[in-house]
Amino acid sequence: MLKKDLSITFMGVKFPNPFCLSSSPVGNCYDMCAKAYETGWGGVVFKTIGPKHYLIDEVSPRFDALTKEAEPFVGFKNMEQIAEHSLEENLADLRKLKKNYPNNVLIASIMGSNEEDWEELARLVTEAGADMIELNFSCPQMTSHAMGSDVGSNPELCKKYCAAVRRSTHLPFMAKMTPNITDMCDPAIASLEGGADGIAAINTIKSIINVDLNKKVGLPIINGKSSISGYSGKAVKPVALRFIQQMKTNPKLKDAEISGIGGIETWEDAAEFILLGCKNLQVTTAIMQYGYRIVEDMKDGLARYMEKEGVDHLEDLVGLANKNIIPAEELDRDYKVYPVIDTDKCVGCGRCVISCYDGAHQAMEWNKETRRPHCNTTKCVGCLLCGLVCPVGAINAGERVLKEGRKPKNLKKLVLQDSFQKL
Amino acid sequence: MVEDYLKEDKGFSPRDVMEEASRCLLCLDAPCSANCPAGTDPGKFIRSVRFKNVEGAAETVRENNILAGICARVCPTEKYCELACSRTGIDKPINISMIQRYITDYESCTHMSVLKKAKANGKKVAVIGAGPAGLTAAGNLALRGFEVTVYEKESKAGGYLRYGIPEYRLPNKVVDEEVKRIEDLGVKFVFNTKVETSKLLDELKKSNDAVILALGFSKGKMLEMFEDNKKVKLAVDFLKQVKEKKGRVRVPESAVVVGGGDVAMDVSLTLKKLGCANVTDCAYEQFCEFRASKKELEHTREAGVTILDGYIPEKVTKSGQVTFAHRVIKSKVVIKAPLIVLAIGQVSDFSNLGIKLEDLNDPSYRIKNTNVFYAGDIAPGDKTVVYSVKTGKEVTKAVMSYLKMEVK
Repeated sequence: MLKKDLSITFMGVKFPNPFCLSSSPVGNCYDMCAKAYETGWGGVVFKTIGPKHYLIDEVSPRFDALTKEAEPFVGFKNMEQIAEHSLEENLADLRKLKKNYPNNVLIASIMGSNEEDWEELARLVTEAGADMIELNFSCPQMTSHAMGSDVGSNPELCKKYCAAVRRSTHLPFMAKMTPNITDMCDPAIASLEGGADGIAAINTIKSIINVDLNKKVGLPIINGKSSISGYSGKAVKPVALRFIQQMKTNPKLKDAEISGIGGIETWEDAAEFILLGCKNLQVTTAIMQYGYRIVEDMKDGLARYMEKEGVDHLEDLVGLANKNIIPAEELDRDYKVYPVIDTDKCVGCGRCVISCYDGAHQAMEWNKETRRPHCNTTKCVGCLLCGLVCPVGAINAGERVLKEGRKPKNLKKLVLQDSFQKL
Repeated sequence: MVEDYLKEDKGFSPRDVMEEASRCLLCLDAPCSANCPAGTDPGKFIRSVRFKNVEGAAETVRENNILAGICARVCPTEKYCELACSRTGIDKPINISMIQRYITDYESCTHMSVLKKAKANGKKVAVIGAGPAGLTAAGNLALRGFEVTVYEKESKAGGYLRYGIPEYRLPNKVVDEEVKRIEDLGVKFVFNTKVETSKLLDELKKSNDAVILALGFSKGKMLEMFEDNKKVKLAVDFLKQVKEKKGRVRVPESAVVVGGGDVAMDVSLTLKKLGCANVTDCAYEQFCEFRASKKELEHTREAGVTILDGYIPEKVTKSGQVTFAHRVIKSKVVIKAPLIVLAIGQVSDFSNLGIKLEDLNDPSYRIKNTNVFYAGDIAPGDKTVVYSVKTGKEVTKAVMSYLKMEVK
């Protein structure tokens, strides 16, 4: 394992590494969080603690998975709400965690239904020894409309509750955003105005993951019925990255510290969130599927990436990609790239020909005798769909040509994404 | 022991089959399909599985290959569809036979009936032999409205499928099911009836619009030195006996098998499974030119059968001591065993019908100037089940064009 300092300061608190459990079933009690710390997680966001008057009553079963071919978890649906233990038990767990793991970061997630709740909960978790607080404005499966994502989609409420928390704690705190909204910037800005020190994004996406074709009901089935609830896992990563990028490029949020959440499974996913401006990372679905041990390869992989990038402080990677995501109207539209086919790698399946004909511009042609494709550049528009569907990575970006009437520019040598080559 | 002989290997689970179907590159021109003699069309049925349409896959498989459940188990796919698989360019071919087996098992478990009885077209055909070619021809003719009667010398249908291929590789339950599908199409079977004289054949020619000979290569070959030796058995007879008795056959402590094809592998492995501790197989071919399919060779070796490649028998004593000599190198091997099984090939057995094998090589599958057709092992081409399915399908079309019917 490569020894590398992965520590990073987020909202004024130094984390041994940026990887945290997110507030969810994976951080539901002392033993779970202790095991996570022992396995190497930098911090935990303890499962959301609610007010005393809000009683948790869960359904069974409560999860379902979206699959594709032989892939068991593309996306994941969760109907579980916030912590089901009593307020006293949760606070006792927080105290014990801080006592036994003083060097790891302990984040308390809280959720109230009114200002008094928020004030009270913030005060209690502060007294219990949490290092920071996360305000859960975003759980989409609460049985109360005064709580969860209905709050997160209402900037005024976000601001009001942040202000309430600010009044009763000196700890840094972040507001956890819901993606069930067109523009996340509004509630995020409102939260900062209310006194939040940072933003966590994203919580789960409202979903119906599968419908049972015989019983005609969504999954999971609870006594013949189902409900809309949160969707997570690898499939939501692109949505999370988009919201984070939009916040990081909003003038009012560009300096906001963000904890990134949404489909992180590998160090590569983690690095993507960091490059788009996250200083902290939270994980649930991958842990539910594979266990806490996944952090070992996340940390090692991230350290090796830092080594390759020649970076000694993780901080130096934060936000490096933000400037390279620009509005569509500003992209260079003067040239096109033709595919180049590596005939040694090509196995002659013809998938590029099928996709080019049925999904693009009928440019990839097929030699029936040799069973190999070739590109007819008079028809090719350079979309490179062929490269994406090739199962052996035999198609890459080749010759770049200027469109008719465009002036030549000094373009850097163009290479397709790494993911092309890795296949 | 007997249980080992009776037990078939486990098939794919729904997850396994999806994993395997996901490996398929879904080629533009599906070279696997082009390389299936029976036209079973793996390219299409694997795609159906991949897109979660197993019932559609079952329809494709069954419509194209009326013995699909049998072929899934016994076809040497490495020589046909899997040989052409593009995935080989990455790692190894798709396990097409196991996907096909999953599909036909699904069809069987869910009691699907893909093929429907047709309206009678008023024509009559007699099929002689209820092996793979005869069954395929009978089924395909019935699907087109023919009144078909199959004459079979044994008491049940299936031929070598039922009486040859060991139970662990092809359970008779599967043969029963496939035969039942063909019966359900209206095909009549007349068992224990050997059409062995030209007079009987002439009667069938007169009372039918066409007669199809699907006699197979049912007689085991003998070598002169082994004739009348009490220690010697022919592979076909040995396999038939074991299968009929459901494996309840006494085997000696050691045995010698002569031959290097799939039948020799079947005999060797059957002996081993039934408890024969020392099985030695001597094959004429060397491994580089072996005839048995890789799969069967592998299973046989894994079971601990000793295979000596390149050895031919020179002499044998009455007490069962055989001397083998290597074809290339200077080497002799002497083995004494209470049982010697010859698996050196099979031949046809219809000389008294007034027909010679040489007459049977016309692409029209018809004996000149007669209404007699032929299919299966006695027709030119590979001697495999899948090839019998192919010729069984093709002879159907040949009969129809002979009767000036529209061939669809």
